Amino acid sequence: MSIRFRSVLFWLSAILLAVVGFWWAGHSRKPPPVEGQTEISWYLIITPLRDLYEEQAAAFEKLHPEIKVNIYWVPNSDYNVKLKTLAAAGQLPDLFLCGDVWISYLLPFTRDITDLVLRDAEEIGLDDYFPEIRRAMQLDGKYYIVTEYMNLSLLYYNRRLFREAGVPEPTAEWTWDDLITAGQALTRPATDDDPGVWGSSRVEGWWGEWLIYVRQAGGRAFTPDGRRCLLDSEEAITGLRFYLEKSSKHGFSAPAGFEPLNGFVNERVAMIVGGHVNFWLNYNEMPGLDWDVQLLPKGPVKRAGGEIAMAGYSISSTSEHPEEAWKLAKFLTRPEAVAAIVERGSLSVRRSVAEAVMKKEGPRANPHNLEAAYRQFKYGEPIPHHENFIEIMLQIVQPEVDLMLLGELTPEETGRIAAKKVNEFIATFSPDGPQ
Amino acid sequence: MNARRSQLLWFWLFTGPALLGFICFSLWPMLYSLWLSLCQDDVVTPSRFIGLRNYIYLFFYDPAFWQSVKVTLIFTVVQVPLAVGGALAMALMLNEKVRGLGFWRSVYFLPSILPQAAFAVVFGFIFQADGGLLNELLSLGGIKGLAWTTSPEWALPVLIAMSLWAFGYPMVIFLGGLQSVPRELYEASRMDGAGAWARLRHITLPLISPVIFFNLVMGVIGSLKVFDLAYAFSVAQGPNIQPGGPARSTLFYGLNLYQQAFGYFHMGLASAMAWLLFAFIVLITVFNFRFSRRWVHYEN
Repeated sequence: MSIRFRSVLFWLSAILLAVVGFWWAGHSRKPPPVEGQTEISWYLIITPLRDLYEEQAAAFEKLHPEIKVNIYWVPNSDYNVKLKTLAAAGQLPDLFLCGDVWISYLLPFTRDITDLVLRDAEEIGLDDYFPEIRRAMQLDGKYYIVTEYMNLSLLYYNRRLFREAGVPEPTAEWTWDDLITAGQALTRPATDDDPGVWGSSRVEGWWGEWLIYVRQAGGRAFTPDGRRCLLDSEEAITGLRFYLEKSSKHGFSAPAGFEPLNGFVNERVAMIVGGHVNFWLNYNEMPGLDWDVQLLPKGPVKRAGGEIAMAGYSISSTSEHPEEAWKLAKFLTRPEAVAAIVERGSLSVRRSVAEAVMKKEGPRANPHNLEAAYRQFKYGEPIPHHENFIEIMLQIVQPEVDLMLLGELTPEETGRIAAKKVNEFIATFSPDGPQ
Repeated sequence: MNARRSQLLWFWLFTGPALLGFICFSLWPMLYSLWLSLCQDDVVTPSRFIGLRNYIYLFFYDPAFWQSVKVTLIFTVVQVPLAVGGALAMALMLNEKVRGLGFWRSVYFLPSILPQAAFAVVFGFIFQADGGLLNELLSLGGIKGLAWTTSPEWALPVLIAMSLWAFGYPMVIFLGGLQSVPRELYEASRMDGAGAWARLRHITLPLISPVIFFNLVMGVIGSLKVFDLAYAFSVAQGPNIQPGGPARSTLFYGLNLYQQAFGYFHMGLASAMAWLLFAFIVLITVFNFRFSRRWVHYEN
């Protein structure tokens, strides 16, 4: 063996030793698992309620010393990407935050928990969930999520701006016409000394508001089987037109692109149609913001049409510790845990908690009209459980809606073009192949 | 071991790691993505072979594909000449002997160190329609501002303006090129009565033409792959604007590809897009090299 070859061998061995050494040093830093203890991973979106969840995890570990919970906080914008990437890498967490809006998207790696839910129905208080929530928890009759919190479309309004404009506060009997009348009366043009007020915000960039009008006008986004887009129907176009004309004809919403940033919080917008329950916490942190909620104004065909969506916990299909993950899920969704979230500013998914909050004496945080919020439950409609719903709505439909708001398309053209493009997409990417 | 075998051993020893890295981390993923481009793949369920359907969808049905091609080409055609021209102009100025030259060079290079995402956020605040710095300034003069970032007409020009700010790297390369131009040529031309413009046109530009060409090629390739700027720009606008919005007016090809791959996990479609981009970049680079023979002068 030549000297050169020997030196090559020497250096290769040295490198190999160094690599093994570094690997071992890194590996050995991880604390060894406690004997008899099972570790489970729990993925969550970063939230202002982080302290609450960390307290919950600590309380759970105290109650179940045999289980160690590792929490992973993920930014909202990366959450689904992170989960799918982990699924592809075979490293899914045991328990993860999931919602009925995304369940179709995450279904390939979500465990069917029907057996666990039915087995422990009494323990988890399945009957305590509002019937609408219980329905939303299921997909094709199977349970995939155990629910913790929810969102519901409502009419949000600023009481001070109503008082100042001398406009009576919204009632449960309001219709679209009342919304227009009040919106116009509340709108105050900007001057040099006054940034002005818009009667209502207009939610742009996603379906949050316009889908409400489409549904209330009797339209829908898809056929029930999700195979055809129906945005070109006359009813859907009526809804799109109302959404457009809030600004272009009735003048009580800002023109496209000029929506004030955080307008409701900054008191530059008097009403929000739809909104999101997650923002209650932020609203209540704004000193002096006197706000409340009411049922959504009735549309020309029906009142129903606002969104009802819920979020909770799912167990990954590859979890090696489904029972332990299930124990944590039950702990996080028990009435006391739901009540803690509601207390910080949210709606309850459980009847018992809702009733307790409404019976509670003494001052109550906004919104005062919780009764209306819980009444809105029966008018909420879940979004279609289509595996590509989010993509279709954001990538295909929304750009056409944007063009409509900018006056480049009429509502008729918007509905027609969007439906055509969506149907082409469905035909190409349907799981059953082209139709 | 004879000398040839020993030489061969050393050859493989030194090229082996790089070659292995290339095969594992470049060639194999590329070939795999070529296969994926013929499949429907969502990462978590098994791939399904669908032939050329991804390409057909992109060419004939996808509402975003041609729009993203258009946006990217507009950006390339407008931004690259402006960026290369601007960097050259700055380099010419910073090539002069002035006081505090090092300081000025650092100042003009500084924006290039900042991440594009930070730029996008800051410019987002400047150009915001309601309460943005630019519109506030305009309102002082009694001018009603525009929806710069939220109107399809203005969002792309704003992005182009934003991208021009970071001209540091091409500027430094130009400076290197300018300093390699022999001083004697300038002195001789001065003695012959050549003015500044003539010196620039007949001495500087021909002699730094390889550097201009290099910056042009890199600029074109970079502009065809723009992603972070557009992504951060949309994120900075808040939930009212989807990535690539408003109305797909800033939907760059790279952003569209990212959305397909990691937003919606259409890995097959994204792979097809990546291969089309690769083919286009190869074509445009070949064209650039062919065309360059007419105006790029090499010393040898």
